[in-house]
Amino acid sequence: MASRFWTQGGDSDTEEEEEENSEYDGSDAEQPAGDNSGAAAGSRYLRGQASDSDDSDGQHRVVKSARDKRFDEMAATVDQMKNAMKINDWVSLQESFEKINKQLEKVVRVTESVKVPNLYIKALVMLEDFLAQALANKDAKKKMSSSNAKALNSMKQKLKKNNKQYEEIIAKYREMPESEDDGTADEDEESDSEVEEDPSKIVMSDEENEDDDDDDEDGHDEATEGDGVWERKMSKKDKLMDKQFMKDPSEITWDIVNQKLKEIVAARGKKGTGRVEQVEQLTFLTRVAKTPAQKLEILFSVISSQFDINPSLLGHMPINVWKKCVGNMLLALDILEQYPNIVVDDTVEPEENETQKGADHNGTIRVWGNLVAFLDRLDSEFFKSLQCIDPYTREYVERLRDEPLFFVIAQNVQDYLERIGDFKASSKVALRRLELIYYKPQEVYDAMRKLAEQTGTEDGLGNGDESEKNLSMEENRGPPVFVSIPELVPRKPTFSESSRALVDALVSLIYSYGDERTKARAMLCDIYHHAIFDEFSIARDLLLMSHLQDGIQLMDISSQILFNRVMAQLGLCAFRAGLIQEAHGCLFELYQGGRVKELLAQGFSQNRYHEKTPEQEKAERRRQMPYHMHINLELLEATHLISAMLLEVPNMAATAYDPKRKPISKTFRRLLEVSERQTFMGPPESVRDHVMAATRALSKGDYQKAFDVISSLEIWKLLRNCDSILQMVKSKIKEEALRTYLFAFASCYDSLSLEQLTSMFDLSKAHAHSIVSKMMVMEELQASWDQPTKCLVFHNLEQTRLQSLLFQMADKLVILAENNERAFEVRTGGGLEGLPPKRREGQDYTAYGANRWQDNSASGVSQGRQGSGYGGRLGYNGRTGGSAQAGAGSRGAGGHYGSMGRTSYRATAMRASQVEGFAGMVNLSRAGRI
Amino acid sequence: MADYDLTSRIAPHFDRHLVFPLLEFLQERELYANDEILKAKIQLLSHTNMVDYAMDIHKALYHTEDVPQAMVDRRVEVVARLKSLEESAAPLISFLQDANLVQELRPDRQYNIQMLQDRFQIGADQIEALYQYAKFQFECGNYSGAADYLYQYRALCTNSERSLSALWGKLAAEILMQNWDIALEELNRLKEIIDSKSFSSPLNHLQNRIWLMHWSLFIFFNHENGRNSIIDLFFQDRYLNAIQTNAPHLLRYVATAVIVNKRRRNMLKELVKVIQQEQQCYKDPITELIESLYVNYDFDGAQKKLKECEQVILNDPFLGKRVEDSNFTTVPLRDEFLENARLFIFETYCRIHRCIDISVLAEKLNLNMTHDEALVWITNLIRNSKLEAKIDAVSGTVTMPVVHQNVHEQIIEAMKNLNMRTYLLAKNITEPAQAAQASR
Repeated sequence: MASRFWTQGGDSDTEEEEEENSEYDGSDAEQPAGDNSGAAAGSRYLRGQASDSDDSDGQHRVVKSARDKRFDEMAATVDQMKNAMKINDWVSLQESFEKINKQLEKVVRVTESVKVPNLYIKALVMLEDFLAQALANKDAKKKMSSSNAKALNSMKQKLKKNNKQYEEIIAKYREMPESEDDGTADEDEESDSEVEEDPSKIVMSDEENEDDDDDDEDGHDEATEGDGVWERKMSKKDKLMDKQFMKDPSEITWDIVNQKLKEIVAARGKKGTGRVEQVEQLTFLTRVAKTPAQKLEILFSVISSQFDINPSLLGHMPINVWKKCVGNMLLALDILEQYPNIVVDDTVEPEENETQKGADHNGTIRVWGNLVAFLDRLDSEFFKSLQCIDPYTREYVERLRDEPLFFVIAQNVQDYLERIGDFKASSKVALRRLELIYYKPQEVYDAMRKLAEQTGTEDGLGNGDESEKNLSMEENRGPPVFVSIPELVPRKPTFSESSRALVDALVSLIYSYGDERTKARAMLCDIYHHAIFDEFSIARDLLLMSHLQDGIQLMDISSQILFNRVMAQLGLCAFRAGLIQEAHGCLFELYQGGRVKELLAQGFSQNRYHEKTPEQEKAERRRQMPYHMHINLELLEATHLISAMLLEVPNMAATAYDPKRKPISKTFRRLLEVSERQTFMGPPESVRDHVMAATRALSKGDYQKAFDVISSLEIWKLLRNCDSILQMVKSKIKEEALRTYLFAFASCYDSLSLEQLTSMFDLSKAHAHSIVSKMMVMEELQASWDQPTKCLVFHNLEQTRLQSLLFQMADKLVILAENNERAFEVRTGGGLEGLPPKRREGQDYTAYGANRWQDNSASGVSQGRQGSGYGGRLGYNGRTGGSAQAGAGSRGAGGHYGSMGRTSYRATAMRASQVEGFAGMVNLSRAGRI
Repeated sequence: MADYDLTSRIAPHFDRHLVFPLLEFLQERELYANDEILKAKIQLLSHTNMVDYAMDIHKALYHTEDVPQAMVDRRVEVVARLKSLEESAAPLISFLQDANLVQELRPDRQYNIQMLQDRFQIGADQIEALYQYAKFQFECGNYSGAADYLYQYRALCTNSERSLSALWGKLAAEILMQNWDIALEELNRLKEIIDSKSFSSPLNHLQNRIWLMHWSLFIFFNHENGRNSIIDLFFQDRYLNAIQTNAPHLLRYVATAVIVNKRRRNMLKELVKVIQQEQQCYKDPITELIESLYVNYDFDGAQKKLKECEQVILNDPFLGKRVEDSNFTTVPLRDEFLENARLFIFETYCRIHRCIDISVLAEKLNLNMTHDEALVWITNLIRNSKLEAKIDAVSGTVTMPVVHQNVHEQIIEAMKNLNMRTYLLAKNITEPAQAAQASR
């Protein structure tokens, strides 16, 4: 029987009673296996012990431990039996059965009870059932090995004989296993969550501690008697604790507590130390702590041992423990609030007896600890739990409700840190808070705010959960807490009306005090938040000014993921604002490799060519985003494809016969090719099908059909103002349809009236005029207006075949010459002196570019926009001049562009060849142009 | 009509003394209530040493003869401080006033300091006092004195920070004295220092650039060559970035300068790009004119904006400078702007049209003239060979001939420099080989 702390609460009231009421014990002794009665049985025995030999402490101890030992052994045997059952091993089952019978004798002897323990009965029942089952299954029986079959038969007989003795009890047990099973059920529950404890360890410490107790002989009788009452139902440590606090409070000295603390802490992490048990022990110690400082010290130990409970890197901390941990943190903050002279520090080792200084001590008391580290850990545990829980269950929602709880802690810690002037640490905490809210749109934020307020009013405490109840229960039970701390820090998070205000406050704190990484992350969160709130220009400016895209490749993976998320959200925002070019610029990189899920950490993508190692997979699993933070992938894909369509369709129409022009979106082109290759066209199903269908319609200039297909997509419902967005999409489609039509069919017309155009594409005259005029000015369309008749007159410039071939040849010759020059450059490592102006210019730009970027990093904010305006040019330079630079091995441009490239984080991608590196540059030049 | 007034946005980037001309201008234009401006002036003066002036304004504002005690006290204080500063700077000033002695100074700064120390017992303290004294003079409104002292201080000063602020002071003084040529020199000097100096933080650097640009407005819109310089300065990448980051309102001046300056048309494309990027942050009729003309090709919109532009220019302290010409005043920039903007509109309009009705054209150009006058205007343009067009007088239209480059010309153009390039390449390859052979 391991610790029974689960039932402590219930037992506490009866403690006094039991002491005085011996008849009560006697009557209960009939069922020692029960919970209360078990305690009573023990007490009766011990009481006898105490009266017989009140001076023999050692013996007393040994007996106690022996008794528990027996129970533990028995439990172990039962476990063995269970295992044997699982593998149908009757030989070992038989052995175990004999063993348990022997143990039973011992137990009965030790407890001096006629009653057999519940555990034993349970084992019997289990065996019986299993036996019946095995016998019924004839086939299986035949298959058994001879020794096994023999053992089975002998078991059958033995069990029959044996069970006769306990017929009654078994029958009773079978009738109502639940009521009888309390104790074991509890135990099962425990053993689920905790590691098996080692009783001997506790015994050791108990014995050590006994020395302290020896001094107070007078109170001893009573104390041991008290112990006796308690020990059966309480864990070892509680026994000890109780013994200590049963004494007059004044007799517990700081030393005792301190020593005990050290002892427990020393056991931490050692093999066989029960993690849960340790937490319990420490929790108890907090109540007997003599000084606030000591209490705080112990509380810190409690918190760190609570973190220890879950040893696995993948799994998360049990939620109830997490909540308790939060409670402890709040308590610690209360102490710090009340005693401002206590300083938490993890840099200097505090003096030995620092915490001895009482509450009235003047001057600072140093306590070792790191609030920020605790908070970080709490947050990551929270994050992990959300990663692990299935998002479609209620549990997930429940877990999400704990968010305000964390928020409260973070807020309090931040307040505290700001009060003591540690702004660096407080900026870290602020980042944690920021990361909880940055992805929330106003509606979600409001919901959270309401939730926090509701629970707040319910029980005056941000959570109203189990942990707090437990806490208060423990508080009520037993001894008065020596150092009582009123609840000083607010238990309810305060949220400002708009999330923007909150984000602004946090971000400005971080910008002024945070370190590089904190600042970068805060900046990303800020951008993300702006993007959610449809403030594209602000978000864009922030991104460009911060130069985050230059250095993101060098940052940690989680920041890279955040960056990718920001880019995705920025793309969505641009799309909502009708900025198609920008939206495409933001999104197309994400879709380039077909690894969107992986880049956004919203799932795993399969790679046919590259098998992942288990480690990689695990690491990837660890950085997944919890479900509620996901960006809707369908929406993202639709946004990307629609913007690519709007850009690419007119582009294709314009350059249909021009091999020189580059496609705007290669991804889109590829998809289109695939869909065109299909023999039969079914009705569209996926997002991709829809866009492809729309593309086909659009390339014929049929805007209405294109729009109908697009608007039939389900995802539009996810958007807040979907009507206006659809309207925007419609007008964009009209525009592009007009452009496409003109590109494709210009050669068929000699003139075209504006009226005809407007009626064909349902555009206003001014709008159509403006679009066509723009095309003329850009020299995309060889035509001009005839103002008096409002007609578009085309100047058809038909080239003969010979002429167009000549043009092609000229182009090829230029390329040849360029290639020659490049080859020469690579060979010599230097540029040509007498290069024609155009080429040289390109090189100059490269050098200039590199300088400029260096200059940028020196002067940060001020040069923010360069990336934006000249992205395209930079990309180009990189391509032409890059080879020369790469040859010389200079880091300048090449290295820089590499870092600007895709923000993929897989090691494989990092090993991108030079060619890929250049591809990356060109990409970014687009992204940079937003 | 105070909608597009930028004074409140640009004032923070100026020295107190530089805001005065702006306020004077506003007072003249009567955009705001007179009292408000007077109050603003007093507030402005409260941190300078021009206490007498502040007193006068106070009297004018409240129509009393009394002045608040604070002002009187301040006056006493100022006078006392002036005395003490004068004393401490006296040795150096007396030295500097002696032309013969000044002759002995050499370009070598270290030598000068050494010499002053040895021969006249003028040390770092006195030099510092000179700076303080100059600053005080400036605060008192004695700009010419301040400019002189600061010039001399710069010759002696070793501290680069101090030297920089002395330069700023000198620039302000020159601007206020309206010595545009000298001011331009100082401005260029300052710009060089700012560009080459490493500042403590990028933000600081940015701030300095923005100040520089604001201050330069005084010079550029008054100096005869200013319109070129403003484009040169503002279109430098760093300065353009600074405008975009922190002072988008300066786009008004950039846009105006580009429109007015016929020779710098090539900047237009870049300007359009910047204006488009910043349209969220800053917008006024002048930028909108450019936007509707070069982004939306909305000629009706452009025409409307052009009307608004006129008011904006008249109300802008830098753009709306008046010239008293014997009897009537003109705003030269306004006329120039309108003329050029019209040309812009016309040019773009012609580019996309083959045939235009003259009366429509006159309307679009915002010319309040009859058909005949428009005809004359266009004829003039054609005669000055600015426009390749013919007037069809019968139908009242202008027709533009469509010119296309000959296909053969295009091909020749494309391949023109290939020959040269290949030749160079061959030369570069063969030369080292020949050299190697020769050496062997």
